[in-house]
Amino acid sequence: MPAAPTFPARRRWPSGIRIVDGAVSTWTAVVLAFLYAPIVVLVAYSFNQSRLNIVWQGFTFEWYRQVLQNSPLLRAAQNSLVIAVVSTLLSVLLGTVGAWLLHRYRFAGARTLQTLVAVPMVMPEILMGISLLILFATVGMGLGFTAVIIGHVTFSFPFVLVAVQARLRGLDPAMEEAALDLGATPLQAFWLVIVPCLRPAIVAGALMAFTLSWDELIVTFFTTSAASATLPIRVFGMAKVGLNPMLNALSAIFILATIAFVFFSDYLRKLSR
Amino acid sequence: MKSAPDRRTPRWRAWLLLTPMIAWLVLFVVAPTAILLVYSFCERDEVGRVVFTFSLENYRRVFDPIYLRIFARSVGYAGLTTVICILAGYPVAYCIGRAREEWRHRLLLLLMVPCWTSFLIRTYAWITILKEEGLLNGLIRLVAPTATGFDLMYTPTAVVIGLVYAYLPFMILPIYGSVEKLDGALIEAAHDLGAGPLRVFSSVIIPLTLPGIAAGTLLVFVPAVGMFAITDLMGGARVPLIGNVIQNQFLVARDWPFGAALGAVFMGLFALTYWILLRLGAREEDPA
Amino acid sequence: MKLTRFLLPALLALFTVTNPARAGEELNLFGWSEYIPQGVLDGFTKETGIKVNFETYASNEELLSKLVAGGGSYDLIQPSDYTAEVMIRQKLLSPLDLAQLPNLKNLAPEFRHLDHDPDGRYTVPYMSGTVGIVVNTERVKTPIKGYRDVFTPAFKDRIVVLADPRELVTWAMFTEKLPINHVTPESLARVRPVVAEWVKLIKVFDSDSPKTALLNGDVDVGVVWSGEAAILWNENRKFQYILPAEGVPQFVDVLAIPATAQNKAAAHQLINYLLRPDVSRQISAAFPYTNPNAEARKLLTPEQLANPASYPPGHPKLTTFHDIGKAAADIDRLVTDLKSAR
Repeated sequence: MPAAPTFPARRRWPSGIRIVDGAVSTWTAVVLAFLYAPIVVLVAYSFNQSRLNIVWQGFTFEWYRQVLQNSPLLRAAQNSLVIAVVSTLLSVLLGTVGAWLLHRYRFAGARTLQTLVAVPMVMPEILMGISLLILFATVGMGLGFTAVIIGHVTFSFPFVLVAVQARLRGLDPAMEEAALDLGATPLQAFWLVIVPCLRPAIVAGALMAFTLSWDELIVTFFTTSAASATLPIRVFGMAKVGLNPMLNALSAIFILATIAFVFFSDYLRKLSR
Repeated sequence: MKSAPDRRTPRWRAWLLLTPMIAWLVLFVVAPTAILLVYSFCERDEVGRVVFTFSLENYRRVFDPIYLRIFARSVGYAGLTTVICILAGYPVAYCIGRAREEWRHRLLLLLMVPCWTSFLIRTYAWITILKEEGLLNGLIRLVAPTATGFDLMYTPTAVVIGLVYAYLPFMILPIYGSVEKLDGALIEAAHDLGAGPLRVFSSVIIPLTLPGIAAGTLLVFVPAVGMFAITDLMGGARVPLIGNVIQNQFLVARDWPFGAALGAVFMGLFALTYWILLRLGAREEDPA
Repeated sequence: MKLTRFLLPALLALFTVTNPARAGEELNLFGWSEYIPQGVLDGFTKETGIKVNFETYASNEELLSKLVAGGGSYDLIQPSDYTAEVMIRQKLLSPLDLAQLPNLKNLAPEFRHLDHDPDGRYTVPYMSGTVGIVVNTERVKTPIKGYRDVFTPAFKDRIVVLADPRELVTWAMFTEKLPINHVTPESLARVRPVVAEWVKLIKVFDSDSPKTALLNGDVDVGVVWSGEAAILWNENRKFQYILPAEGVPQFVDVLAIPATAQNKAAAHQLINYLLRPDVSRQISAAFPYTNPNAEARKLLTPEQLANPASYPPGHPKLTTFHDIGKAAADIDRLVTDLKSAR
């Protein structure tokens, strides 16, 4: 991290850009500290002997042992993961293609369609949950993984779409035209030229979709069956008798697994090169 | 600015590609909304079930000053959250977007990992920090033993902290998408032409990343207006926001039709505003 | 993204793990989260071979709205008394076959004929509790006897209460000596100024875990569920539980079979199993509510029985809630109005 800008008088002042860069990275560190403050606390408390987690009573691995034996909780975590991954993939597909088509073509009703896409973002979860449940019950569709995933895709794909659209705005239209002139089909042009260019926005959208799905409670409650109950449902239920440090332990394991996954995939990417 | 991309009318292939999204929207957004709309004109029985009649009573109640005041307050909280998220998030998005390529994805993940911890567990961790005898006040007393410390928990400040914490990544990510596209040469050029850092920022960087800021504003402001859980947990449920009121109609008062009417007005107002903004935006882009 | 290449096999693996071969009888249970220990259900499966699919909710209204909207098909549910009352009236519950429930005899007589179901034809009590006052006696030295002692300016911003509008209004009705189950516009007008005063004094509204604010020291008194008070008492004896002098709300959570249940035989089997003293004792050990099972109470430790929040001394006068139908919406509106006027 660059030091605060206190420079000896005789040295040359760094260029304006460098000062800005320094300030910007310092601020990023501050924001990350803000985001990680509760995470550090909850990981620390996962080793606390006290069940109610109010004061520090001593170090223990007990909660980790309990988590690994709590099959309903592990099962719920597994369900959450399956649901979040599947609905993220579907949201990315729906959102990216949708953003491109809305950007690329002009047709009657495009603005209405655009507005409609934004509606799930503003729709209170309870309304979406209950109305989807009524819909599924009316058409005789059973509750469970499919119903939950439909609900999750509905509220997360608009986030992907909006993120991708922001990136498309101001994209040089000549790029696609060049590809078309060189003999690519429109589909090829989209897949080989546009998608790679959109990748940062797609990644950003996917991260948001995953985050939303992973931690959603209300829509899930109304669309789930016993078999597809997710982690948030279990966690909110457990709050009734006081949050168990087991949940902290589970979160810590998940954070560790994510970080390990990132480094592992980095390593794999290097190997495949 | 570049010229607006020349848009075309879709041919059959494009319509085919559009179909899944339109079908999805019709089935899972339009149909449920229509169900709610029907409900909002109905009455209810004692379990909250809908009795099919036609009544405007629910809409009359929506425009009661109590609910209008609550709505205005919700917009206020969401607006404040959005502004703080832009100010705090922009530099972070800029930093990540300008980082070396192999670092970008790592930084992005680093940003998101805290959100993958259950909201409730994170909130309880915040309570541990912010409570009267919590870590923050402990730290303050360590530095300045005479300080009284803050009484933050269950105050509007705590609600705003919770909101910013929850929505900040949704501001940073779309801005990152725009910043990443910035042409470094353009900034260098502006700088070489004698523009100071502030000038470069305000007349080159900001205009080029405006779509990202607009998208982030949409992704933060809109969900934040209808949010309910953070006011309950961080604010002690003392001051209801519109999300809480709608939630209560289903999970406390058993008044589905009124809940549906509140929701319909809320979503209708939003959709109208958004549609008008889209229209204005289109006119600006293409005055013809 | 290259990620998909790694994710897809992982996903397939997950699916195969999450869907083990289904065989044998199943029972769909829809119950409160953290109310039935997993060990108890595992024991039932071991004895009968019936697999229990346990789905959870966190409030009566969640249960009711999911059921009413047409969700799921459940064989056994666990509503509170006033919710069961309206479900009986709306013919949402199936009558029990009492012959299949020999363990009913274990219940204490005072829990056999409750107001919501006078003949005991539809419901079986599971656990019961009260709403009362918890005081942090290290911080509060004045004697507290009832609601009026809690809601005083001396405790401004030191109070936690349940985030349930009905409860709040009921306490005010107790202090005004109004009938709590007969809510009229007049009685609401009477309590309005009382509740308005109270709302200004309260720091936290929390139905899910009101103990958190008390444990953290952010508040000193609370009006909370007895189960919460029992946990607080177990944690630290400085938290004293007091039954309010003006009146005590009591709730009884019951077991019931929905009219749409597919496997009523298995549901009866599970009810009977839960009524067994040795099983009921395990429930009491995990969740310190008032156990209506007289035989099971005999198996409890003296310490469990000494917890004043679970088994209050003396014979306090308890009042149960009845369903008040549409008046619930008026109460919600009243409290919302007063809260947002702050």
